[in-house]
Order: sequence, then structure tokens, then C-alpha cells
Amino acid sequence: MSVLHQTSAQFVNIINHTASRIVAATLGGFFTTISITVGITLWWPFGETVEQVFAGGIFFFVFWACLFYWILLSANGSRAWIKVLSILLPMLIVDAIGLNI
Amino acid sequence: MKQATHKTLYNTHGWIGIVSGILLFVVIFSGIPALFEDELEYWQSPSLTALPKSQQFDLQSVVDAAHEENFIYSDFFISPANDVRSHHILWNFDREKEAFNTLFLAAHDNRVVEADQSDSSHILAHLHTDLHLPSPYGRYLIGLAGMAMLLAIIAGVVIHIKWRKELITLRPKRSWRLLLTDHHKILGLWTLPFTLVLAFTGTILGLLGLISPILALAAFDGDVEKATRAILGPKAEIIGEPLNRYPLNDIHNTFKNDMPGVTVNMISFSGYGDRGGYIKFSGNHDEKLNNLQATTYKMATGEPVHTANFIGNGPFQRIFAAVVPLHYVMYGGGWLKLFYALSALAVCGLIISGNMLWLERRGHSQEHWLGKLTLGVCGGLVLATLSLLSSSTWLRHVGADQAFWEETIFWAVWVITTLVALKSQASFSLAHGIIRLAMIISISTLIGDGIMNQRWIWTAEGWVLFVQFGLLIFTGILFVFDYLLPASKTTSEKNKPTAQPITS
Repeated sequence: MSVLHQTSAQFVNIINHTASRIVAATLGGFFTTISITVGITLWWPFGETVEQVFAGGIFFFVFWACLFYWILLSANGSRAWIKVLSILLPMLIVDAIGLNI
Repeated sequence: MKQATHKTLYNTHGWIGIVSGILLFVVIFSGIPALFEDELEYWQSPSLTALPKSQQFDLQSVVDAAHEENFIYSDFFISPANDVRSHHILWNFDREKEAFNTLFLAAHDNRVVEADQSDSSHILAHLHTDLHLPSPYGRYLIGLAGMAMLLAIIAGVVIHIKWRKELITLRPKRSWRLLLTDHHKILGLWTLPFTLVLAFTGTILGLLGLISPILALAAFDGDVEKATRAILGPKAEIIGEPLNRYPLNDIHNTFKNDMPGVTVNMISFSGYGDRGGYIKFSGNHDEKLNNLQATTYKMATGEPVHTANFIGNGPFQRIFAAVVPLHYVMYGGGWLKLFYALSALAVCGLIISGNMLWLERRGHSQEHWLGKLTLGVCGGLVLATLSLLSSSTWLRHVGADQAFWEETIFWAVWVITTLVALKSQASFSLAHGIIRLAMIISISTLIGDGIMNQRWIWTAEGWVLFVQFGLLIFTGILFVFDYLLPASKTTSEKNKPTAQPITS
């Protein structure tokens, strides 16, 4: 029991570390941006397919920059990862529906 | 703004700058000659600058003249003469040899002309677009550096809340650190619109290849080829039916009527000699910012098969079509390019002052390895670029090996300067030495142009004079920089380290 408690405490320490927050902002932000880009390209309601592609392309860089700072400015690592997952998971569902997976 | 938020943004700005700063300097400084690639390519070949001024272009006659010279390929390209050069360029990429077959035709009579062997403009342009790394990794690295620049700019804007005061504050008589601080803020604020545009467009150009599969996954079931065809137009469908003659001039006239105000800068032939061949005209609209236009026609009948006319399309297509013109100044003229070049130099100063400031805040002298590396790589690139341009004039009569020697000189000067800077214990003296040597090499380029090519600055005209004038302006900027740069660091009691030192 104490080993389990120790392991979970170590895990929380790692997740809350500044390095974890930076990884969440860079990598987490990047993958979240990809999921949002796929979603925008799939569901963009205006114009033909080529317009959808360009909308996704432009928003990619805008969202990447915004997400990076939104996640980085979290109080600690666990909050940063919660922000990542709060966008990433719903977007993955939206993407899966759009791609008929 | 909360203090914690300000601190996080301040640290992020600093760390992004220090991690990507030197790479960004390389990309931005090499962007200056890349911006003038056409002009430099023209200047580096005196036999082409000697041609009579002409932009005459008859497509059928050009193709016939090329065929007479045995320039016969299924896929090839033509770039017609323009306001910079008076010759047409035809080229084909040999996939087996991985080399270009190139032909130059004088615009006034379609006669073949031999270009000189200098390759300096391409060496510098390739550094800007690919860092001379294998494709596409160099381009991705540049795209990531652009993204880092974008993030550093965003944080920089947010943390500088007293921007009105900082816009005009310069205290040259105070300490070295205050001098760096003031310069960093002034350069950053005055060039802000320029750096934002450059970073955003550069990131898109660099990372487009990386995000294309993501976009294709969503819109074209992951088929990148299909997505490329939908945007850029289809490739020829070879049907194996030979055809020797096409109504090329009729198709060219159709394009001119369909796209008024567009200057054609490239004609692509795909499947030439076959009934299924395609011809594509690409150009820039003279009066629009989002000015990329292209139409693909069936070569046998002149029937249009694809049009990329971004002007009348949706907002995102228009934004995308403005990316390349904004990045490479395909709007406006030579003077706007000069403004871009001066702004890019200011950004180079911004990067160097940022790196130095980062070291100063941690109590390190310029003799820290990061300071030496910054001086070596950045100063070395300036020296190497000018050495390359100078060798382009002095080595004109070397012959076929000229491009090889030019590239050797370029890399050797860069590497040697970097090594000398890393070994040096007197960074300020070395910086002055590099600047003075750069001035001498720059002037030697003008002298070399006069002696080897009989193009003295008082007899030159047109774009040759423009390039020479550009070198003179750059020499003048180096002179002023050398005059203003102190001989040693001035310190003040107030300037103690304000950040944690790093271990060297």
C-alpha cells in the first residue's frame, strides 16, 4: 500500500513539474492543434474543399501559438495536461465522427 | 497582468530566443540575398548583363529555338525575360542524374547565350530555404524556427507594457547592458509589423509540407497527391499518341485574355510531344497582393483543365495566396525590397542584442561560450556571404569549377571565423575586426566587378548598379556599426545579474 502511495506521489510530482508543463505546452499543444486542424478541415461550412483545406492550414498556426501560451500559463503541470485533454479528447471524437472511423 | 504570468512570459521569451536565436539569425540574414536572388543571379553573370534590354517573348519561337539546340524533353519549364533580365531560362530536371539541364536564350533574338559559372545567388538562397540540409528536413527546421520566432514575438509584445516609452528610449552613454536593452526594445518595437509578417509567412512556407498530410487526411482521405492536384492542377495523362505541333501561341493568348494584368513568370510543360500533354501558365497579378494565378490547358486543344485564381475565391485561399508575395516582396518594386532588407538587418541586430542581453542578465561576460558562438556564427555568416559575392567576381575566369570554389570559400570562411571566435578571449576586438574585414571584402567585390567585368560603379546601370549600390549601403551600415560599437564593455554598479547564472 505504501509502495503504491509512494509511486502515485512520485507520479503526481512528475506531472506537476515545470518540465511537464513545458512538454504539455509544446507536444500536447502540437497534437491538440493537429486534432483541431483536422476538425476544422472536416467541418468548415464555407466554400468548397480547397477552401476547407486552406482554412485548416491557416488556423493551424494560429491555434498552435494560442494553445502553447494558454497551456504554458497554467499554475502547474497537472492543470496544463487537463487543459490539453479537455480540448484533445472532444476533438478526437469530432474527428472520428467526421472521418467515419 | 499578474506577476507570475509576466515572469513566465518573460522567461519564455528569453529561452525561446536563446534556443533559436542563432538559427534565426542565419535564416534571416541569408533571407536578404535570397530576396534579391533574381537580381544577384543576373549580376553574377556578366555575359547575360551585356545583352540588349528586351522582354520580347514569342512562346512558339522560343520552343522552336530550344528544339534546334536539342533541348527536347517531355517535362520542362520556361521562365520568360522580365524587368530584371533580358534572357529566357529553360530548364528540365533529370531525375536519373538528379541534375538540371538549363538553356539561356537572348530575349531579343532567341539566340543561345552562355551564362557564367558563378552560383553565388543559389548558394545563398538555398541556405535561406533549406539550410543546405537534405530536403525536406532543412525546410522543416526553418519552419520550426519561424514558429519559435512567432512565439517569442507574442511574448515580447505582451511583456513590454511600457511600449510607448520604450519606442524612443536610447541611453548610449550608460552601461553596456542598458545599451543592449534599449537597442533590443527599439529594434523589436519598430520592426514589429515586419517581423510578425515574416515569421507568420515563413512558418507557413517552412511547415506546409509537414501539415499537408494532416490537411489531406481530412479533405482527401489522406491522399496528398490528390490534394496537390486539386490545388495546383493535374499532371499530363500520357496517351502514347505523338503530336509534334501545338497551338502554343493561341493558348498563351487565351491565358492573357482570361487573366488580364497577370505577368507570366513560369510556363510548365508536362508530357510534351504527346496528345495528352498539358501546359500551365503561372504568374503574378500586377496590382493584387494575393497575386498568384495559374491556369492549366490541354496542349493539343487549348481547353482549360484547371484554374488557380485565388483573387476571386474564399478568404482563406486569398490569405494563402498572399503568403509567398508577402514573404518574397512580389508586390511593390526594388525600393520595397530594399526596405525589407534594412528591416531584416534590424531583426538581425534584435537577435544579437537579445542573446547578449540574456548573458548579461546572468552575469556572464561576452567571453561565455554562447557569446562567442553568437559572434562566430553570425559574424562568420556576414563575412562568408561577402566573401562569396567577392569570389563571384574575382573567380570569373576559373571556368567550370567556379561554383565549387565559391562554395568552398563560403563554408571555409564561415567555419574558420566561428572557430576563431570560440578560441578568442577578446570578443569586442574580434567583433571590430570582423566588421572591418567585411567592409574590405565588400569594397573588394566592387573593385573585382570593375577589374574582371569592366562594370565600375560609375559606368554600371540598371540592376547591376542596384546590386553595387546595395553593397555600398551595406558597407556604410557596417562602418556606422563599427563606429558606434564600444571598444570594451562599460559597466555600472547598478548592473548586477538579475537572473540565475548558467554553468559554462
